[in-house]
Amino acid sequence: MSEVKNSFMIIDGSKLIIESLVRSGVEAYVSYPITPANWLNEYATQRFPYSTFAPDEITVLQWASGLSAAGIITATSTSFPGFALMLETVNMAFMMELPLIIVLAQRMGPSTGSATVGAQGDLMLLNGCISGGYNIPVFSISNLIDCWNITSKAVEAAVKLRTPVVLLTSKEMIMTTRSLDTSALPKLEAAELELYKGNGRYLSYEAGENLAPPFLPVTNNQFQVRINSSTHDAAGTIRKASKDALANTLRLHKKIQNRISEFLFYEMDEQPDNKKEILIVTYDITSEAVRDAAAELRSSGVSVSALYVKTILPVHKKIIEIIERYRFVLFAEENATGLLAKIIYGERLNERVKRINKIGLMITPQEIIKEAKECQQISC
Amino acid sequence: MSTNFLLSKETPYCPGCGHQTATLSLANVLEKLNYDPLDVIVVSDIGCCGLIDPTLACHTVHGLHGRATALAAGISLAIEDKKKKVIAIQGDGGATIGIAHLMEAARRNINLTLIILNNMIYGMTGGQLSGLSHNKFRSEKLQFDENEEPFDITELSTKAGASYASRIIGKGDFSDKLAEAIKHDGFSVVEVLEVCPSYGVKKYSEIENYGYTEKKFITRREPYYLKRKIKKTLFDESEIVFPEFSSNIENKLKIIIAGSAGEGVQTSADLLAKASLYAGLHVTKKGDYPITVGSGFSIAEVILSKFPINFTGIHKPDVLIITSLDGLNMVRDKIGADMLVIIDKSISALVEKERIEFDFRLTAGKKGATIGAIAFWLIQSKIFSIDALIKAAGESKHGKKVIDSILKIRNSFSKELIY
Repeated sequence: MSEVKNSFMIIDGSKLIIESLVRSGVEAYVSYPITPANWLNEYATQRFPYSTFAPDEITVLQWASGLSAAGIITATSTSFPGFALMLETVNMAFMMELPLIIVLAQRMGPSTGSATVGAQGDLMLLNGCISGGYNIPVFSISNLIDCWNITSKAVEAAVKLRTPVVLLTSKEMIMTTRSLDTSALPKLEAAELELYKGNGRYLSYEAGENLAPPFLPVTNNQFQVRINSSTHDAAGTIRKASKDALANTLRLHKKIQNRISEFLFYEMDEQPDNKKEILIVTYDITSEAVRDAAAELRSSGVSVSALYVKTILPVHKKIIEIIERYRFVLFAEENATGLLAKIIYGERLNERVKRINKIGLMITPQEIIKEAKECQQISC
Repeated sequence: MSTNFLLSKETPYCPGCGHQTATLSLANVLEKLNYDPLDVIVVSDIGCCGLIDPTLACHTVHGLHGRATALAAGISLAIEDKKKKVIAIQGDGGATIGIAHLMEAARRNINLTLIILNNMIYGMTGGQLSGLSHNKFRSEKLQFDENEEPFDITELSTKAGASYASRIIGKGDFSDKLAEAIKHDGFSVVEVLEVCPSYGVKKYSEIENYGYTEKKFITRREPYYLKRKIKKTLFDESEIVFPEFSSNIENKLKIIIAGSAGEGVQTSADLLAKASLYAGLHVTKKGDYPITVGSGFSIAEVILSKFPINFTGIHKPDVLIITSLDGLNMVRDKIGADMLVIIDKSISALVEKERIEFDFRLTAGKKGATIGAIAFWLIQSKIFSIDALIKAAGESKHGKKVIDSILKIRNSFSKELIY
């Protein structure tokens, strides 16, 4: 797809994400203004059947949870300062098993940092955002097409797993306009909640083999629904630490861990010679630099592979498996210390693991090329 | 005792707890008003008041400390069926921490009833005082300064826009006093003053001694409903561009346009992007400007290429177009060798490196200077036809004015000037 043909338009990631959310079955959007999610909010107001502004980010996610409990799949967007305020409610929605989609548009921190400077600084926070060591699924967008496809998959995951999910992106991805062949965008299916169809008493948190309980809205007139944020049993009744309540809590962990494979997305650009020497691992906005770097490295005779991680949390064993095959692994991410590298390797980074990090500006293809060439020299 | 709404005579409260009376009164009023339990959704807070859930036969939602009003508001926003009833239950502690949620529900007059069970104490954590504790009340653990007046939640809610607010002294069955609030369309708040035999006020007479009296405020106001509206797709087919021109570029071309905010820099760069698409090129465009938007610099970065573009950053531009001093100050350190610098004549002397200068501001005015400079560059470089830019401009909001600026520039420089 090199030639510009007749189906191109100038578009931005924010527009693609919002249109994809709606076509994928999200009906409501609650927002609070924050840079760099401004365009997302603007488009959402124009597009969602239900859209409203809340007075702060805590209210945003509480309202979103209420809408979701009533069976209306809801999304929002924010950036770190807003997400920090949402954190308790993210835990609530995880415990209540309410599908929510949070588009997290990263900007440079710490704190309020620089609102109009992009970054990839929130992955570590997302990995630990649920008290007790659980994960919510986090999906990452690597280009404009992902703004469409991965967004849709994130909605599907939220709905099928009955969980809040984070769609991770950053300023440069959603506030840059670009030409795009819109005919390359596949048709999307709207995700639908699996409703309880039994005849007996409905236990709000009784799950079958797929570990996600069937849903009923709190507006239904057939069965009583009990939704609970505190430790609860299968009926949704508050329990301190009873055996069945603990089993229910642990099910939440298993649900995500066991079923994330259904929503595993990554792009592996394997080096043609299959040497397994150098692998560049990346996600989000740095993916675009890695794509250029990999092409240039290959044209100059350096053999590299590139892994673009899109289902980023929980870290899937398949991702580790790919990484382990390589002699050198370069993690390219726009933050100070290498968050994905740390999540995978902890503090035990070894000499085969290199980090390419930067703050304040996007990592350039040239910076990646330089590191890869140094690995090649050691390798030779 | 109600049979429809209470699942059991057993309740989880301490003997003599005000919440016991409140639970029975709530169940009674819902039954008296003939509600189907599955038309009622009770959203409870953290604290002793949140123990109500398991006693009820209606839908129950047990949320976070202080957030019950917001969560209930979210549920209410989803409901258009007027037979449904959403009720939030909070304690005085929850109402204090979540007071902003309460104010917003009142401001919008969101259709739900909030019952605040005010026993003047955080019971579950051992008896701390809240923003609704009376200043004469003394907790065994903490003491208020007499000057720390409590919120009057009924007056506060009314001032914030709640269409119904009342205070009830929660002695005996008060279901009849609740009925009006439950039936109310819009946001209704009921503060119930209660005893807490473990930590709080032990007798209702003591509450009355503090000077509390029952009261009620009713304001006629339409409730807020979030209505479902089907809206159009964001994909406007008319935005699809059919390439009509050709381009002679071979390599990726990186352009930085630097000017002043409010002078059409971003719009001009958008038009260049669209014109490039008309010329069959792939394009990316991004903007950078201060958060004030309307003052200071405005920078746009545009990349053009025959091939799809991945990385959208510009480390070193091939073309630098500068139309104001604000813009020059932002990009001065980017000026280097092997790049084409096109600059407004008024600031040209401030640059030492090789550059092409022209009176963009004088010729096309400050708002036309940037599009004029882009036109100037296109005509000189022959990257693609200026007609592509004119076509893109013609489709823009202020098409005529923009085309005027382009034509002014085109007509006013001599072709001999070209390189």
